[in-house]
Amino acid sequence: MHASNVKYRLGKSYGFQILTYVLAFACVIPLLAILFFIIKAGITKINWHFLVNVPKPVGETGGGIANALVGSILIIIVAAIIAIPIGILAGIYLSENRKSRLAYWCRLSTDILQGVPSIVIGIVAYFWLVKPLGKFSALSGSVALAIMMLPIVVRSTEETLKLLPDSLKEAALALGMPFHRVIFKVIVPVGISGILSGVMLSIARITGETAPLLFTAFGNPYLSTNLTQPMQSLPLLIFNYATSPYNDWHDLAWGASLILLLWVLFLNIFTKLITRKWKVQL
Amino acid sequence: MESTIIKSRNFNASFGTNHVVKNVNIDIPRNHVIAVMGPSGCGKTTYLRCINRMHELIPGATCNGEMKLNDENIYEMHPIFVRLKIGMVFQRPNPFPNLSIYDNVIAGYKLNGVKLPKAERDRIVEHSLTRVALWNEVKDSLNKKGSFLSGGQQQRLCIARAVAMEPEVLLFDEPTSALDPISTSTVEELFHELKVNYTLIIVTHNMQQAARVSDKTAFFYMGELVEYDETKIMFTNPKDNRTQNYITGRFS
Amino acid sequence: MAQIETELQLLKTEAVNMWTLVNSQLSKARQAFLNFDKDLAREVVLKEKRVNGSELKIDRDCENIFALFCPVAIDLRFLLAVLKINSNLERIGDIAEGIAKYIIDAEVPFSKELLEVTRVLPMYEEAVNMLEDTQAAFEKEDTILARSVFKKDDFLDGINKASNKVLENHLKEHPEDTPQALWLLSIIRKLERVGDQSKNVAEEIIFYLEAKVLKHSKKFA
Repeated sequence: MHASNVKYRLGKSYGFQILTYVLAFACVIPLLAILFFIIKAGITKINWHFLVNVPKPVGETGGGIANALVGSILIIIVAAIIAIPIGILAGIYLSENRKSRLAYWCRLSTDILQGVPSIVIGIVAYFWLVKPLGKFSALSGSVALAIMMLPIVVRSTEETLKLLPDSLKEAALALGMPFHRVIFKVIVPVGISGILSGVMLSIARITGETAPLLFTAFGNPYLSTNLTQPMQSLPLLIFNYATSPYNDWHDLAWGASLILLLWVLFLNIFTKLITRKWKVQL
Repeated sequence: MESTIIKSRNFNASFGTNHVVKNVNIDIPRNHVIAVMGPSGCGKTTYLRCINRMHELIPGATCNGEMKLNDENIYEMHPIFVRLKIGMVFQRPNPFPNLSIYDNVIAGYKLNGVKLPKAERDRIVEHSLTRVALWNEVKDSLNKKGSFLSGGQQQRLCIARAVAMEPEVLLFDEPTSALDPISTSTVEELFHELKVNYTLIIVTHNMQQAARVSDKTAFFYMGELVEYDETKIMFTNPKDNRTQNYITGRFS
Repeated sequence: MAQIETELQLLKTEAVNMWTLVNSQLSKARQAFLNFDKDLAREVVLKEKRVNGSELKIDRDCENIFALFCPVAIDLRFLLAVLKINSNLERIGDIAEGIAKYIIDAEVPFSKELLEVTRVLPMYEEAVNMLEDTQAAFEKEDTILARSVFKKDDFLDGINKASNKVLENHLKEHPEDTPQALWLLSIIRKLERVGDQSKNVAEEIIFYLEAKVLKHSKKFA
C-alpha cells in the first residue's frame, strides 16, 4: 500500500461523507422552502376576522374562511367516525388470523385500496351517493375520505398488534379471560399508542385531500353544518380561489394554505408526542 | 390420606400429525410439588398446557384421552372455568405492562369485569403479595408499573396474579429459566410455602431444580412418561435406565 | 431459609443425637464396669440396635442430600464429615457393647489393685471426655476444642503402651489374676481404639470447619 494510495482513499471517504451531509440537508430544503414561502405569503392574511367570517362576494374586501374551517372539521370528524371503528376491528382481525383466506384477501384489498388514486375514489363516491341522492353532500365527502383512511388505520393497527409479544395474550388467557376481553382489555390498551398514531396519521393524510371532495362535498360559499348539503372545506377553497382571477380570493387562498399547513404540521407533531407519552414499555 | 387432584389416563396430544404426548397415565396428589422434567422436545410443556387447556388454542393442536380435575373431566368443562381453577405462570415474566402492580394482582378479576368492593380488592392484593413474599418489597409502590421491578420480582408478581384467583392447581412452565440465580432461589423457596394451599406442577429442564423443589418427579422422554416416583428415589435409585442416563448426563 | 439449610440442620440434630446416644452407651458401660452391674451391661447391649439404626438413617439422609441438593463448599465438607463421623461413632458404639459383653461374661469383678496399677479408670474417664469434647466441638463449631482432643489421645496411648509392661509385672506377683488381666488388656485396647476414633472425629470436624486435612499428618496441639 502506497502512502499516496491510502491518502487518495481517505480523501474519497471524506468526500463521500460530505456528500451524504449535503444530500441529507437537501432533503430538508423543500420543506423549509414551502414553509417559508407559505408563511411569508399567508401570515399577513391571518387574523381573527379571517377565521370567523365567510368569504365575501367578489368585489367586497374582508371575508374569511370560517365556512371552510368548520366544513373541514365536520367532514373529517364524520370520516373518522366511519373509518376508525371499521379499521381498528379489521386490524385486530388481521393480527389475530395470520393465515386464513379472508385475512389474505383483506390484506390484499387494503394494499390495493391504498394505491387507488384519490380522484377515482371521489368518482366512485359520486356514483354511490351523489347521483342516487340527487345532490352533493358533506356525507358523501366523508365517505370518500373514510375509504382513503381505511387502509392506513387497518395496516397500522395490524402492525402494532403483531409486534406485541404472545406472552401478553397467554397471560390473559391463563387468567380465564374470554377472548373478546383479552383483545379489548389487554391487547388494545397495550398497543393503544401505535393504533392512535395510525389514526392520527390517517387524519393528517386526508386533511389535505382535494380530489375526493371535488364531486362529493363540492363546496359551499356559506357556513353550513348540514351533512346532507354541500359543504366547503379548506382544500376545496384553496383550489377554487387560487385559480380564480380575483386578488381578494387569492389572499384567502394563501391564508387557507397556511392554516392547512399548520394543521397538518401540528397533527404530525402531536402524533409524535402522544406516541412517545402513551407508549407502553414492554 | 392423599387424594388425587389431577388424573390423566391414556392422554395424548398432537400438533397436526406430530404426536408429541403419548399415552400418559399419571396421578397428581393434592398439595404436593410435582416436577416434570425431560430433554427438549419431550412433550412436557405440551402436556402441561393440556392441563389448563391452553394447548388447544394453537391452530391444528389436538388431544384426546382422560384428564380429570377432582374427578371432573377437564375437557367437558368450559375452558374458562378450567383456567379459573388451574392457574399458570410462564417462562418469561409477563406482568401487564400498562397496569400498576396493584392492578396486575387483581387483573384476573378486574379485566374479567368482576366488580369487587375496595376493601375486598385491597385484601386480595395484600394477601396474594404476602403469599409470594413480595408485599414488604412493594407495599409502598403499588401504583407503580409492574415493569419497573426486577426479573425475580416480576415473576413473583405473576405468581401473585395467579394466586389471587384462588386456583386449586398452579402450573409453572420453566418459571425460573429467564431469571438470575438469586431470583431463581427466591422463587424456589416460594414453592415450599405455596404447596400448603395449592398443588404445584412445575415443568423444568433443570433437573437440579426438580431435585431441590419437588416431592415427586415425572420424567418425560420422546413424548412418553418414562418414570414417575418420589423425587428422593428418582435421584438416588431410578428404576428405568433412561431416567438414570438422563440424570447422570449421559444422554448425547 | 433455603431447603438445603433446613435439611442440613436436621442432619446436624440427628448427628448430635447419635453422639448423645453413643456417649450414654460408653458411660453406661463404664458404670457397669465400675460397679460390676450386669443389668446395666445388658441394657447397653440391647440399645446397640438403636445405634446401628441411627447410623443407617444418617447414611441414607446424607445420600439423599447429596442427590437432591448437590452441595458445595462448606455444605459438601459438612456432609462428608458427617458421613465419616457417623461410622466412627458407630464403631465407638460397638466398642461400648463389647465392653458391656465382657462385664456380662465376667464371673468376678476386677481386683482393685489391678485396676489401679493399669490406670484403666482414668483412661476410661479420659476416653469419655474426648467423646464429649468432640460433641461440644461439633455443636459449637469450635476447632480449638477439637484440637484439644489430640493431646488427650496421647494420654490414652501412653496408658495403652505402658499396660503390657505393667500387667507383666503384676502377673509375676499375682499369677492368679491372669484371666482378669487378659480381659482388662482387651478393654484397654478397646479404649485406646475409642481414643483413636474420637481423634478421627476431631480431624473430620477440623476438615469441615477449616478445610484442613489433618489425617495422616503430624499434628500440632
